[in-house]
Formats: sequence, C-alpha cells, structure tokens
Amino acid sequence: MAKKVGIPRGLFYYQYYPLWKTFFEELGAEIVVSDFTNKQILDSGVKSCVDEACLPVKLFYGHVLNLKDKVDYLFIPRFTSISKGEYICPKFGGLPDMIRHSLKELPEIIDTEVNLRKSKKNAFKAAVDVGNYFSSDRHVIKSAYQKALNSYREFRSNVRKGVLPGDILSKRRGVLNKSSDETVNIAIIGHVYNLYDNYMNMDMIYKLRSMGVNITTIEMLDGKVIDEKNQMLPKKMFWNFGRKAVGGAFHIMEREDIDGIIYLMSFGCGVDSFVCDLIERKVRNTKDIPFTVLTIDEHSGEAGMNTRLEAFIDMIRWRNRNEADVPAYG
Amino acid sequence: MGETGYYLGIDVGSVSTNLVIIDEEDKVLEKLYIRTSGQPINALRNGMKTLTNRLNTNNIHIKGVGTTGSGRQLASVILGADIVKNEITTHAVAAQKMVPGVKTILEIGGQDSKIIVLRNGVIYDFAMNTVCAAGTGSFLDRQASRLEIPIEEFGGYALRSTSPVRIAGRCAVFAESDMIHKQQTGHSTEDIINGLCEALVRNYLNNLAKSKEILEPIVFQGGVAANVGIVAAFERALGKKIVIPKYHDVMGAFGAALIAKEEMTRKNTKSNFYGFGTTENEYKAKSVECQDCSNMCEVIEISANSEVIARWGDRCGKWSELDGSSEQVG
Amino acid sequence: MKLTFPHMGNTYITAKTLLDDLDVDYIIPPFNNKKALEIGTKYAPELACLPLKINIGNYIQAYEKGADTVLITGGCGPCRFGYYCEMHRAILKDAGYEMDILTLEMPNQGVKELYRRVKKLAGGFNAYKIIKALKNTAQISKSVDELERLTFQVRPREIKKGSTDKIYKIFLNKALKTNGSEALKKLIKATEDELREVEVDRNFKPLKVGIVGEIYTTIDPFSNFNIQSKLGNMGIEVNRRVTISEWVIDHIIKNALHLPRDRSHIEAAKPYLGTMIGGHAQETIGNTILHAKEGYDGIVQVYPLTCMPEIVAESILPTIEKDFDIPILTLIIDEMTGEAGYVTRIEAFVDLLRKRKERTEHGRDWLLSGN
Repeated sequence: MAKKVGIPRGLFYYQYYPLWKTFFEELGAEIVVSDFTNKQILDSGVKSCVDEACLPVKLFYGHVLNLKDKVDYLFIPRFTSISKGEYICPKFGGLPDMIRHSLKELPEIIDTEVNLRKSKKNAFKAAVDVGNYFSSDRHVIKSAYQKALNSYREFRSNVRKGVLPGDILSKRRGVLNKSSDETVNIAIIGHVYNLYDNYMNMDMIYKLRSMGVNITTIEMLDGKVIDEKNQMLPKKMFWNFGRKAVGGAFHIMEREDIDGIIYLMSFGCGVDSFVCDLIERKVRNTKDIPFTVLTIDEHSGEAGMNTRLEAFIDMIRWRNRNEADVPAYG
Repeated sequence: MGETGYYLGIDVGSVSTNLVIIDEEDKVLEKLYIRTSGQPINALRNGMKTLTNRLNTNNIHIKGVGTTGSGRQLASVILGADIVKNEITTHAVAAQKMVPGVKTILEIGGQDSKIIVLRNGVIYDFAMNTVCAAGTGSFLDRQASRLEIPIEEFGGYALRSTSPVRIAGRCAVFAESDMIHKQQTGHSTEDIINGLCEALVRNYLNNLAKSKEILEPIVFQGGVAANVGIVAAFERALGKKIVIPKYHDVMGAFGAALIAKEEMTRKNTKSNFYGFGTTENEYKAKSVECQDCSNMCEVIEISANSEVIARWGDRCGKWSELDGSSEQVG
Repeated sequence: MKLTFPHMGNTYITAKTLLDDLDVDYIIPPFNNKKALEIGTKYAPELACLPLKINIGNYIQAYEKGADTVLITGGCGPCRFGYYCEMHRAILKDAGYEMDILTLEMPNQGVKELYRRVKKLAGGFNAYKIIKALKNTAQISKSVDELERLTFQVRPREIKKGSTDKIYKIFLNKALKTNGSEALKKLIKATEDELREVEVDRNFKPLKVGIVGEIYTTIDPFSNFNIQSKLGNMGIEVNRRVTISEWVIDHIIKNALHLPRDRSHIEAAKPYLGTMIGGHAQETIGNTILHAKEGYDGIVQVYPLTCMPEIVAESILPTIEKDFDIPILTLIIDEMTGEAGYVTRIEAFVDLLRKRKERTEHGRDWLLSGN
C-alpha cells in the first residue's frame, strides 16, 4: 500500500504545492492535503499554539491537527532559506520543532532542511533526503524531482500570465465578476499564505472581485523587474518575501494602470511590520496613490473587513470621478 | 408633485442607532440618537415610532433612504433602503457638508474609531482601529461606571486634573488593571480620568493616525466628541484646534441621508422605502450556525410576520440567495 | 561628525571605551527613559519590536544634544535586528531628523565600503590604534560583565537591603563621565572592591534563577523593569549567560576572524532546536537546559512582543520544563506593559519556586526522620 504523506494546507503550501504534489506522486506516495481552512481548523490551531505567534502559524497548527490521524508522514520541511543569500521568517526554520513540542501523538515528521542560502544546489540535496523516505533509487528520485520542477514551472508561468495562485490551488477559477461599476485595478501585497487562504482573509479576493475589482499580486510580476527595483534600497533586504514585496511595490507604484495598493498583513508578523512600513513610507513620500493596510488576526471581524474594503474602493472611484470632474460621492 | 421631498439616513451601530431626516436643502429636520442595546430591530422600531409621533409623517414624503453602520444590511432589509453605504464614506460626506474644506476627520464611536484624511474634497486616506476597544467609547463608558461617575461628567473631571497620571495598556483589559492599580496607589479620580483620556488619545494617535498627516481643519465626531476631556487631550497632543460639528453624534446617519439624496436625484426613481409603519411588522432575527460544512458560518435570518425576508453571513451563498422556497435555517 | 549610539543596559561603557580610545567625538543619549520610549512609539511602526522603538528615542534625544551620526551594528537576518539600520534611517528621515547612520557590518558593496566606514569612524586607518582600541574594549566589556555578575551574587545575600543597588548605580553614573580605558579599569576595580565589602549573610542559600531570552530586553534594565535587581532584592541569585562581552567578543570579533566560539549552548539545544534560526533562540533553549543541569530553581524568559525567534523558543520551552522539571516564566514586553501586572507575575513565580523548594526539602527531611 502506498505511504500516505500529509501536507498541511498552510504557509508554503501556497507557494510550492504543485512541486510537492508531483514529487510525492512520482515516488508512489499518496498525498493527503488537509481540508480547506475552516472554523474548526482555526479554533484548534489557536488553542494549541503559543498566543504570540502570528495567525498563519496558528492556522498551520490547525492543519496539522486536521491531518495527523489520517497519514503515515507529515511533510513539514524546515525552511531556513529559499534563495541564495536570503532568509525567511525564523518561524519557518523552527516550525518542525514548534510543532513537535506543542502537539502530541503525531506521525513521523519529514523535516528535511531546505537551506539555499549558500547554494541553490542544496534544493536537490533536500529532495534526495525527502525522496529517501520512499525510494532508495537515486535515479527515481532525480526523475521525480525533474518532473516536480516542471510542474512548478508550469504553475509559475500560469501565475505570471495573470492567474491568481489561489485560483489554481482551490480550483476556483472565478475570474472577474461582473459589476455595473467601472473596473478598478488593485495590487495586493502580502504573504501568499495570507492572500490565498480565503477563510483567513474573509474572502477578500472574491469580495473585491464582486465589487468589480481586478487584482494584481507580486507573484504575477517578473523577477527581473523586482530585482531591478530593489536596487533602490540602500541595504539589500535579506528576507525573500521582503525583497519581492519591496521590489514589487516600487514597480507597481510606477504603473499608471494600478488604482490602489492594499497591504494585507497578519498581526504579529515581524517581517510584515518592517516591510509594510518601508513600502508605506515610500508610497506616501513619492506617489499620490491610494494605499491601505488591512491587518488580520483571529479576532478580526468580517464586518470590519467589509467596511474597509468597501470604503477603499469607494474612495478610489470617488477620486477617479473627481479627476473626471463629476461631483459625486461613492 | 411640488410637495417637498425628504431623505432619511439611518446609522445602526453596535452602541447607538441614529436617524436623521433632511430636506432638499440638506437641512436637518429631525435627528434621533437611540441606544441599540444589542437589539437593533427594537431600536429601529423605537426610532420610527418617535419620528411618527414627532412629525406629521403623512405629509413627509420620503424620496430616498440610506443606511450605514455595522447594521446597515439589517436596516436596509427592514426599511427598504435605496443605498447601503459603509460608515467611512458616510462620515466623510457628512463632515464635508458641515465643515467645507475639512482635511482631517477624527471619529470615535462606541465600538470603533476611525481617522479619515481628505484632500481637495475627496477621501484621500483612512484607517479604522484594528485591535481592540481601548480607543473607543465603550471603554470610557465602562471606566466611568467603574469609577461611578456619569459619563456626561467624565470630561469635566479630566479638565480639573492637576497632575496627570500615565495609564498604560494596549488593550482595554490591561488599561483597566493599570487604572485600578493607580487608584490603589492613591491618585485622585480627576487625575486618573485625565490619564485615561490621554491614554485613549495616545493609543489613537500612535496606532490609527500613524503615517497620516493631520492638517486643519480637523473635525472630531462620533459619540465621544461630546467628551471635553478627550477633546482637550487631542488639542494638547496635536497642538491644533479641533472643530466639533453640530450633529457630531449622528454624522453617519446624516451622511447616509446626503448620499441617498444625491443618488436618488441622479437616478430619478421612486424610493424603496416601505413607509414609517413598516416596523410595526413582527420581525424576528435569528442566527444559526450552519452545519452543512466545516466552515460553520453563522447565518443571520430576518423574517417579517414569519416570512423570511433576508439572510446573510454564509460564505457559500446557499442561504443568502433567497429563491422563494423559503426554507428555514436550523 | 558627532556620533551617538543606542543604549542597551550598560553597553554604553563598552561603546564609549572604543570611541574614547579611537578619539572619536560622541554623545551618549540620556539613559533609557519613558520619554525615549514614547518618542520611539510615536515614530516607529506599531508592530516593530520594542528595542527598535527605544533606539529611535535614544537617537532623537541625542540629536537634541547635538549628535548627527548614529553608530550601530548590522546583520544579515533572519531576525529583524539585521534591518534596524535601514528602518532607523527611514524613520529618522521621515520624522525630520537629519542623521547619518553608520552600520558596522560587511556591507553589500564589499570590503571597500567597510574600510570607508571604519575610516570615517576612526578618522583614518591606523591599524595599530584600532586593534589596541578593540583589545581594550573587549577587556572592559568583560570586566563590566564580571562586575555585574558580582552584583547578582551579592544582592540576594546583603544584610542591608539596597546596598548593592546603591553602589552599582553610582558606578553607572560615574562611568558616564570616566573617559578612556585606563580610567575605566580603575573605576571598575574600585567598584568591585566596594561590592566585596558589602556585609553579606554567608549562610544564606538563595534560590537560583536563570534569565534567558532576547538579548536586548534581558540585558536592558529599563525595558525589563529591572528584573535582575527585583529578583535579587527578593533574595534570588540570578544569572544570565548572554552578556555584552560574549556578544561583542563571540558574535562580532570571533565571528569576523573565524575563531572557534563557545558552542556549549548550541550542543545543549540540539535535541530541541536543530538549527540556527536567528536572534537568540538557540541560546534561550540551550541556556535553559544548561541552567537546569546546573541545578537552578527556575528560568525566566524575557522577550519583546512579536519577537520572531523567541516565539519559536517559547513554543519549545514547555517540553524542556517537563523534561528537566524546572519552572519557566515567560514575560513579554512592549511599550504598553504596565509594571503592576508584571511585578505580580514575578512575585507569584518566586512564591512558586519557594514552595517547590520547601516541599522537596521537607520531603527529604521527612525521609531522613523516617529512617
């Protein structure tokens, strides 16, 4: 019988799932993904995780609990770095340890370290380590890894063409909803696991679409553009997300087709607290474009989110109309 | 035709439900401030009754109705609104009417607080309190009752303070415990109240108003604007003059009426308003946790004379799309 | 150029030794204070960690006294401290304070840029002078730490309560006005002698508590409401393995020269936290275990709200608490922390430690008499 590998639907699931899926399937493993985030996953995660952690980490705990009795392995790689010379949030590096010391009766955790800080080649090394759980044949692993990379590239290329990762992953290809009002183009900046977990962000993306909003995220941008814009910083950002977010935001600011920027941040996220502040300062000091920060935590109410989103879009339409000299409120 | 038209604006908040009627000249004919006390339908009914008693409603032709506030959807369903607007937009519209050229709106209501920045007569930026109640009216209410001082006299006490006390606390719970501690160490009530006012203003300015340029004219509205202690604390902290508009406690409703007027004049259609007697219907609101999936959405159902007239709160749309087959929730 | 630098407990003594011996003109900001924190809270992002906010307050208070350049060390992540320099730059600029930031780290632009910065700092590149200054700095830093450790031992045992605090406070103020490593060495020695003369109860066996956590908030008495002195005055002998000299010597000097470093805490932490994740998480885990093995009665973890590495450590500590049977108290600090609630928790924790000790000792007595 095929070994069952559990993949919690949280954190880097939203970035790497296509790669992991192909890799494990090619190795003959069966993949079990935890349910879409729901109230029970949220509640159990919040209950079992230290209070001070950010919401995405708490949700990840909930996803682990949702899976733990259904699988032979839990796949919780130890991400230290996902790109050369860069880091990610320290919580990712300690994630398997946090999980192991907070939750009981877990299946075996595959916690191979992924550290590409020194060299990109370590990715293959990590793949071999993970692959060894299922196959001793290095060739099989190598071929599975190649196919996995292809899946990942296809995913990335679709995203770059303008498909939201969340739509691909949730197979909910609800493109732009019809709205009687004129289309507004909004860029949303935030961690993938905040942007594409519809439960956590209270269906933000779909709510915006139903108001006639077209959405751009940094995942859709060209890596070269991002790198180029990063040169504007005196000291390089050492967080992978921070570099992409800052570069992406600087690029978006210069685009005439974007009507507003939303930064979606989770309360208590250390990286967001700096990255968002730097972006906000830059935006406010250089361009007259609507910018707002939406903060979510487990206490966030949906009513507040709706009010903010509606008011933000109202504000943009009001401004646009004002520029066209039509005196009208929202 | 020829008869004068009036517009009704209703703001259903968690603490108060406000109603305003304006005429074609935007003059306020009547305004009401009613405690919601957790029962918005009752509050609406009381409001409509009072209006009927005070005015000869037979001669009042309502040409448009606008609802706002966290209960805007509910009010819209019950009264038949023409526009449903978020409270940020309505507050901005009202402030502009009262104080033309206003550049900054500080708003502190019962359960939330906002800052709205306007430039050239257009909302330029805004923020709403994110985390807690320490910067809202309910917090002051609670502390006033703890100190056994009527909330109306709260501000007066603050003005009599001679040596301010620093009350610490990010959230209401901690601020309260620190206040109790200060009481025990023998500080005078006046100084403690002043300390509370300063803590509220400090929290507001540090969290909400960060990165916002506070330019004059500055308008302060919402229920808390009646508190002279808070007004004084704001003026001290900002070093600027603050304007309290005439209808400071019902600005949301006033704004909703103004927008309704604008909208109806533009559309030139008949209002959806059900009439002043509509609240005589037997309304029932119930909330049920839907068990059909793990999202466990809290679905709100409103029925009038035991006929379901609206539902909301579901993520999937199964309940909110009323299809006539009035299946009951739960 | 008039330099200033952020406060962190008694680090200013180490910093001023370096600058004195390099003949650099500088201004020490007023000791950490409420006003500084208030200024920082006003300008810094709400969810930034506490040290960043106090730093901003330090700079602005030093600016008002004439400083124009900030000296700070850097880093390359993943902890936020590595990006402090750039946040400081952006915040000061937007707040209207024209200050230059001089970051001592290996810059993206390479060795040449580092050379430029050191030259700017030292007013030239006199290798002999620089190495000598570094040597003195390391020495002073070490002896200040030893002096502080001596207070940890004397304070719980002193007969006349408050004697240690008084001597140490005078030392901190005198150190401000004492220039050059030679004079400082003398001052430290004199203070040490004075502390050794404090009358103590030699038979008193204090409870022992290890302080672990994020470096700034554990070292800086203002941000941790003087926890070391508070515990000491309750009759507790505290210890803290993470020190300034360890940080300066191990972290900066040895790391730069690729010298072998003390790895005992890393080894101890290994079964619980396998990798370096930034900040002092590994130290927190490792030192907790080392203290437990040395027979300490309890551990206090201190960290600023939203500190990423310490949240990881906090998640792991309950297992260590159980495995080593040692009570651990976690204290999280931000600008909103009220002292009353904070003290209550410390007092309750100390009560708990005393009760535990009594019970184990009584248990033993009972066993003995039963024999």
